[in-house]
Amino acid sequence: MKFEWAPQHQAFREKIRAFLAENLPADWEHRAHHGPGSREQTEFSRQFCGKLAEAGLLIPHWPIAWGGRGMDAWCQIILAEEMWQAGEPRGAQYMNVNWIGPTLMRYGSATQQARYLPRIARGDAIWCQGFSEPDAGSDLAALRTRATRDGDIYRIEGQKIWTSYAGLAETCFLLARTGTDRKRGISIFLVPMDSAGIEVRSIPSLIGEGDIHEVFFDGTEVQGEALLGEEGGAWDIIGFSLNNERLGIPRYALARRALGRAVTILQSRGAFIGEAVRVQASRAASLCEAARLGSYDIVDQRVRGVAGTGGASAVRVATVMAERAVGEFVVEFLPDSLCEAEPLLKAHHQRAIVAGIASGAAEIQLNLVATELLGLPREPR
Amino acid sequence: MELSLSAEQSAILGALERLAKPYANAPINSRGFTLVSGELDRALEDGGFLDMAFEPELGALTAALVVAQLARLPYAAEVAASSLLRPLLGADVKRPVCAVEAGAPARPVRFLAPGATVIVLHRDRVTSFTAAAGDVCNIETIFAYPMAILVTEADHAAGAVAHDVPAATLRARWQVALAAEIAGLLDSAIGCTVTYVSERKQFGRPLGSFQGMRHRLAEATVRAGGARWLALMAADSGDPGDAALAAHFAQDAATGIVYDLHQFFGAMGVTLEHPLHLWTYRLKALLSELGGRSAQAADAADLIWGVGR
Repeated sequence: MKFEWAPQHQAFREKIRAFLAENLPADWEHRAHHGPGSREQTEFSRQFCGKLAEAGLLIPHWPIAWGGRGMDAWCQIILAEEMWQAGEPRGAQYMNVNWIGPTLMRYGSATQQARYLPRIARGDAIWCQGFSEPDAGSDLAALRTRATRDGDIYRIEGQKIWTSYAGLAETCFLLARTGTDRKRGISIFLVPMDSAGIEVRSIPSLIGEGDIHEVFFDGTEVQGEALLGEEGGAWDIIGFSLNNERLGIPRYALARRALGRAVTILQSRGAFIGEAVRVQASRAASLCEAARLGSYDIVDQRVRGVAGTGGASAVRVATVMAERAVGEFVVEFLPDSLCEAEPLLKAHHQRAIVAGIASGAAEIQLNLVATELLGLPREPR
Repeated sequence: MELSLSAEQSAILGALERLAKPYANAPINSRGFTLVSGELDRALEDGGFLDMAFEPELGALTAALVVAQLARLPYAAEVAASSLLRPLLGADVKRPVCAVEAGAPARPVRFLAPGATVIVLHRDRVTSFTAAAGDVCNIETIFAYPMAILVTEADHAAGAVAHDVPAATLRARWQVALAAEIAGLLDSAIGCTVTYVSERKQFGRPLGSFQGMRHRLAEATVRAGGARWLALMAADSGDPGDAALAAHFAQDAATGIVYDLHQFFGAMGVTLEHPLHLWTYRLKALLSELGGRSAQAADAADLIWGVGR
């Protein structure tokens, strides 16, 4: 057991930092506060990810056969930390490289792989994730959007909601019902967003521009080749996908950076004095540290091929605690920083509330921890 | 970054588990506030399990792993100070070892007894002395450690010797010891609560199947996991800021969890028939050490962001 970074991992982090220093514009924080789903950041991400790809930093953790460099899970989390704490200049494309690409590698047909993977690897692809529905949020298997086969095509009817990045996405990773069985009746379709019969409406939100949407499918037709894997096979595939995304976004990294910034501002005003503010700052820092080390525990398990279940959910809970503590610290001690003058703190505060909601509510994670880590009896349904 | 145990650490903790097996459960007729075993103490000392931090290649990290593992036992053993503080002072320091802060309000001291080495953390230096009978006033406490009050002013103890270790270094190591011990105690306290609420039925189903309890226990285990990682990292890094954060996090986590666990046991949680208190009341004793969670947090702020009070 050792907590020091290996030289190659430290060097990798420094390489990313140098790349960011060179490639992020001087006014980046002001641009980044619109959020990864905004038009401005999405457009920026296309050229930024292109440069990342040229520098070998877009998909370093992908297998060499797919254009990656076969780097380990430590490199993946280092990359994710540096990008997220920089305001995620990859925009929505972080999703592609973390789990959409690897899912296509494993379950996609040769045609699908040839169509989508090179574009993801070039850093020029925007995807959205069509999972949640009005009556199927945490209870994802209750989804009702239906894909009906008609000869060589599927016809899709239904509605998705709270869909991130849908406004500017070219492709939707869509879950739709092809059968009646709760879980075995769900399939995945890779749906071009310019197909006829798709309407996207932006939902005004607290968390930035262009982030969440409603997506309506009204008789949208897709070719049979849009089906990913077997019909009815979605549940296993998304299990694999979520396993790749299980660590999620390393939110603790930006939270810790925001905390550091807040303390610096308070110090510059001579206001980081007295026990109350200092105790709360340390408390928030300790929660960020717990989330960081918990994440590393999962990465370590992955590198050794022994990742169990439940641990990643515990990390999600720890991350929510850290995000909250930093958000609360800023609201309590530096409320004026939540306006335009401090875009980093404003952006952090705006999006921190998502930590316990996006990609599986915190309450679901607590249930998973209770059942899978602690072995507590399940609640009867 | 490598968070699994080394082969040597696995071997040490495996051997420790075998040694401690007879002490893994409280005796069936145990009804006391405290459980101690002289045999266990001797076996740990003779087996060299308290000397890990004397070995540079094992260091404070392996010592912290030992502290956390032994804290899981229902028996209170003088492990943390011997394993983590004693090596800073030298191999000739006699066990048992206890530690006090000079100038801090009087409080019961764990493992204080005539003949014990008392390490005194002053503001700017470290001294120690061997407690004489007249220095010690035995007391009964509800805390699950053997404890006594030091009646001699630590500054004026007879035969006190000065040590060539900075006070900040000793404080940091004490914080690591505290955090590692809390992490181990939390682990067992949560574990035995999970067992109890999985078996105890009300309304026709196990208590632990109610979401109100599941979520709070899940949160408790997340915090306990954090306490463990922060303690181990601080042990490894030797950084005083890490140590202060680890102690703060552990004391803060334990503060919320201890009451919850007794709550989940219902009336059984106020009896001495279940050994829960053997972990939770040790936790309570640790909540106030080194000034408690707020003092650790203020200390951490000084170390991370610079002194500015």
